[in-house]
Amino acid sequence: MLARTVTHALVGLNPCAVEVEAHLQRGIPSFAIVGLADRACQEAKHRVRSGIASAELDWPTKRITVNLAPAGLRKEGSAFDLPIALAVLAASDQLPPDALEDHAAFGELALDGRLRPVAGALVAAEGARRAGLTRLVCPLESAPEVALAGVEPVAAHHLAEAVAYLRGERDPPAAPAVYDLPDAPPGPDLADVRGQERARRALEIAAAGGHNLLLVGPPGIGKTMLARRLPGILPPLDDDAALQVTRIHSVAGVLPPGAGLVRVPPFRAPHHTASAAAVVGGGPGPRPGEASLAHGGVLYLDELPEFPRPVLEALREPLEDGVVSVVRVGGRAVFPARFQLVGTMNLCPCGARGDPGTACVCTPQRIERYRERLSRALLDRFDLVLAVPRPRGSELAGARGESSTDVRTRVLLAREHLALVSSPLADDASALLTAAVERLSLSARGRARTLRVAHTIAALAGADVVGASHVGEALSYRPPAELTA
Amino acid sequence: MSELAVAVFAAETGSHLIRAPRDPRFRSFCASFDEAAYRARLAAAGLRWVARTAASFPARLRAIHDPPPGLFVRGAAELSLLDRPSVAVVGARACSSYGAEVAGQLASELARAGVLVVSGLARGVDAAAHRGALDAGRTVAVLGCGIDRDYPRAHAHLASRIAADGLILSEYAPGVEPAPWRFPARNRIVAGLARATVVVEARERSGALITADLALDEGREVMAVPGEITSHLSHGTNALLRLGATPVTCAADVLEAIGVEPAPQTPVPPVEPRLAVIHASVVDAPAGVDELVRRTGLDAAHVSAVLTELELLGLVAEAGGVYRGVMR
Repeated sequence: MLARTVTHALVGLNPCAVEVEAHLQRGIPSFAIVGLADRACQEAKHRVRSGIASAELDWPTKRITVNLAPAGLRKEGSAFDLPIALAVLAASDQLPPDALEDHAAFGELALDGRLRPVAGALVAAEGARRAGLTRLVCPLESAPEVALAGVEPVAAHHLAEAVAYLRGERDPPAAPAVYDLPDAPPGPDLADVRGQERARRALEIAAAGGHNLLLVGPPGIGKTMLARRLPGILPPLDDDAALQVTRIHSVAGVLPPGAGLVRVPPFRAPHHTASAAAVVGGGPGPRPGEASLAHGGVLYLDELPEFPRPVLEALREPLEDGVVSVVRVGGRAVFPARFQLVGTMNLCPCGARGDPGTACVCTPQRIERYRERLSRALLDRFDLVLAVPRPRGSELAGARGESSTDVRTRVLLAREHLALVSSPLADDASALLTAAVERLSLSARGRARTLRVAHTIAALAGADVVGASHVGEALSYRPPAELTA
Repeated sequence: MSELAVAVFAAETGSHLIRAPRDPRFRSFCASFDEAAYRARLAAAGLRWVARTAASFPARLRAIHDPPPGLFVRGAAELSLLDRPSVAVVGARACSSYGAEVAGQLASELARAGVLVVSGLARGVDAAAHRGALDAGRTVAVLGCGIDRDYPRAHAHLASRIAADGLILSEYAPGVEPAPWRFPARNRIVAGLARATVVVEARERSGALITADLALDEGREVMAVPGEITSHLSHGTNALLRLGATPVTCAADVLEAIGVEPAPQTPVPPVEPRLAVIHASVVDAPAGVDELVRRTGLDAAHVSAVLTELELLGLVAEAGGVYRGVMR
């Protein structure tokens, strides 16, 4: 007896159809899975067998061969459990022969027969839709993701439920309502930041223009606190971006259970011990890294010079092109990675420099080595560089600042303004820029960077002309001479 | 037995010599030393040698109690440059941006008044002093390693600018590696060349204080730039002041001490009214943008823009997010 189910494996962010064939023969009872299945996939044998028994169904005492086709594609993970179980049940006549038509399946089995969610349900469902399948049997928790892809989820809590439905003994279980993550910024609010007017202003400009931001200053002055509040003032993701971000998060398995589209720009803060593969993506099956998880949102690198050089250099590709392409023996994948980079660093390794209250114990050589860890090429990617001095005590006792919602309103207006009009440069503004090029020995790249920021500042002011004050302010966010020398 | 033989012997044996040693090895070295060939090699490398006994050897340096046997010289200028009134500007290598700013400004104004600025090509204050002096004239650097080395390496470009129409000096022959004990020895030459030594920033135990001590031993003027009493970088300079060094608050103080007429002052145009409030506030006390927002009640965007304009006019300087007024 032969039966088939269809499921989808993940290749990077793309689904690849996998046919699960179960063949029962007479002979000494055995169970083999073939078709380049990895370890987790081989272990499906035990889960499937126990799951079927727990659902009070019969395990056929036959010689069972399961083939995962195409046999040349590496299969990873536990999402094949459910399709294998259904194929075995169909092959042993415990399901009607045509029950699996128009259905795909995706999910892991527990030993007691319950279904467990697996990362990548959204992508697998998109694969099902493209293959013309209208329903997808999946764990309850994956139903919202499946629904997002435009496929009707058959959300089952237990293998027995799925079987009962496929036998026509009960209606398809009602899919739980899909909800978007709440629209209001759920992250920390900008109102919590007291004082720090300049840093707040820089954050607003960064949000409005999508500029990368580098915060430079002694430790403990609230650099991380500021950075965490950037996603809250970014506009919510539009439909396409939201779906893309949800897809990436689904594949990486970081989507909160039961959540629908991710509308809030993500914030990712990998630690500086993270490997290059963890940051830009990789692994044998290529998986998205932190840079891709930050797609549409903010990638925050605290203590930038502490990151290994290869990691920082690997970020140059996504910073330039907005994508990461990972090439491995096991396959090639292209992950979107258009994020806003926010970095922090001290002025010296001990962190005391720039802080009048403490004595820096670093030798000039150590400081030089510390700063050399940042390549010029990477430094050039930061449109805004902000030196943050240690705030005085009186400042921290100040009133609460403006809330994120108010700032976001201005950011949204500025973005519209930027999209609609391209403001010309006023005469006094271009004179100021020329003076700056000469006096501050601004490079051509630095000049272009200043102009970009000046345009954003003008847009925030709602001005139709980029004026001298806009250029002047933009120039104040250039990298300090100490970093460029 | 020439001074050059002494200098080359010292280089080859890794020792520090100011006169011919009574060492049999030196005698055998002299027997095999071909001075003419050595001078030819120096000349081919663009280097010169001036012996202590030569007429062109700087008189002030000859007057110290342990003058070097001679100087190796690199650079385009004549040695008579060293007879000009000169001031050593020295200080901490790990200086603050304030220290670098003051050193540069002082050196530049001294150079404008025709004073030769001497320093040690080290990081920090030394380099700032050289750069400041180059803005307005010529300068002299004294090395603590072989004359053919640029140490630190990062200052190779600065060294080539100094050599273009100033001088680079060393008592050490080509090939001598920098070593910690050679720098205090170098400092005696810096102090010996100068009529007055100005210490800009120095910690409690700083090489710049050695220079000051050496200057004092030779009876030269020692001056120090006062600093904040809470800053480690001012401990050394403030200690000098307590011991009776002359405080330096502007270039004119130094010029007065060595008896040189200051260069005619160009009248300073008044600050534009729209920039004046913030400028006055920064000159009152250094501050970051946030602090200025609080003081003036203006918004951060406006304050940032005005500060940039003031910076372009050379009226304020920024470091680590803190702006301060610049001496005029």
